[in-house]
Amino acid sequence: MAYEHVHKDFHGALSFALQFLSDRYGRGEMEGYLRQVAREIYGPLRKRLRQEGLKALEEHWRKVFTLEGAEEGRDFTLSYEEGALVLRVRRCPAVHHIKERGYKLAEDFCESTRVVNEGICRPVGYDCSVDYERGAGRCVQRFWREG
Amino acid sequence: MISCTEFIWAYNELFKFLHGRHGKEAVQELWKGISEEFLGNLDELVREKGIDGMREYWTHTLTEEGADYVMTVKEDAFYIDMHRCPSVALISEGPSSKYPHYCEHCAWLYPPLLEKSGFEAHMHIIDPERGECRLSVYRRCPRAGS
Repeated sequence: MAYEHVHKDFHGALSFALQFLSDRYGRGEMEGYLRQVAREIYGPLRKRLRQEGLKALEEHWRKVFTLEGAEEGRDFTLSYEEGALVLRVRRCPAVHHIKERGYKLAEDFCESTRVVNEGICRPVGYDCSVDYERGAGRCVQRFWREG
Repeated sequence: MISCTEFIWAYNELFKFLHGRHGKEAVQELWKGISEEFLGNLDELVREKGIDGMREYWTHTLTEEGADYVMTVKEDAFYIDMHRCPSVALISEGPSSKYPHYCEHCAWLYPPLLEKSGFEAHMHIIDPERGECRLSVYRRCPRAGS
C-alpha cells in the first residue's frame, strides 16, 4: 500500500488518463500501460502472491477497499469458493466517486481491473477473471491457482 | 481497481510509458489535456471566486494528500511554498523509479489554467528530488486601491 492519505479525485484523473491513451494511441497502448503498472507497481504484491498464496490478495483487497471507505459485508465481500478467492464488489469506490463528481468514466475503466489483475496473477502461476456491469460499480473478481 | 492511494505511482508510470513509447511531447500533450479537460473543478472555482477559489481548491487537495506546505493568500497574489511534495515523497519511497521530468507536470497543469482567468502564474521547481517548489500567482490587473 502506498500511503494512507486518500484523495479520491485521483480516480477521475486515472479515468481521464485511460481514455486519453485509448483515444490517442489505441486500446492496445492503454493495455500496454496497464501491464507496465502491474509489473512495476504491483511487483511487491505479485511477490507476496507467489510466496503466500491467495491470502496475500485477500489482505491487499481488504486494505484497499477499507481505505477507500468501503465497508466489508455491505460494499464488498471476500470469500473462498472451490479454492478460488472471490471478491464481490457491490459499490465500487472508484466508479461511485467518478460519477458523484461528474467526471467522465473511461470506456475501459472497469476493463483496467482485468488487465492489471492478469498482470499481477499470471506471471506467478495464478489466474483471474472479472465479471462487471460497466458503470454500475459492481463486479465479481475471482482469483485461483493455475494447474 | 487501482486504489487512489496508489494513483501517484500509476501517474508516474504513465509519464514513463508515454515518454518511452511516444516521446516527451506525448507526455506534455497529456498534461495539457489534464489542464484543459480534467481540472474543471479548479477552473470553475477560480472563475467564480478568484484567489479564494485557489485557496479552497488547494486547501482541500493538499490536506487530503498530506502535503507539507505554506500557503500565502493576499488580495492580489497567491503563493504555495511546497516544502515536501506528497507525490514526490511517495514516488521516492515507491517500487519504481521517478520519471525524470515528473515535477514539470504542475507547470503544465496549473499556470495555463489560472492565466485563463486573468492571473499571471509561475511554477518554480526548487528541488525536484526533495519535492520543493513554489507556485506564484498574481492578479494581472490589481483591484483599485490595493
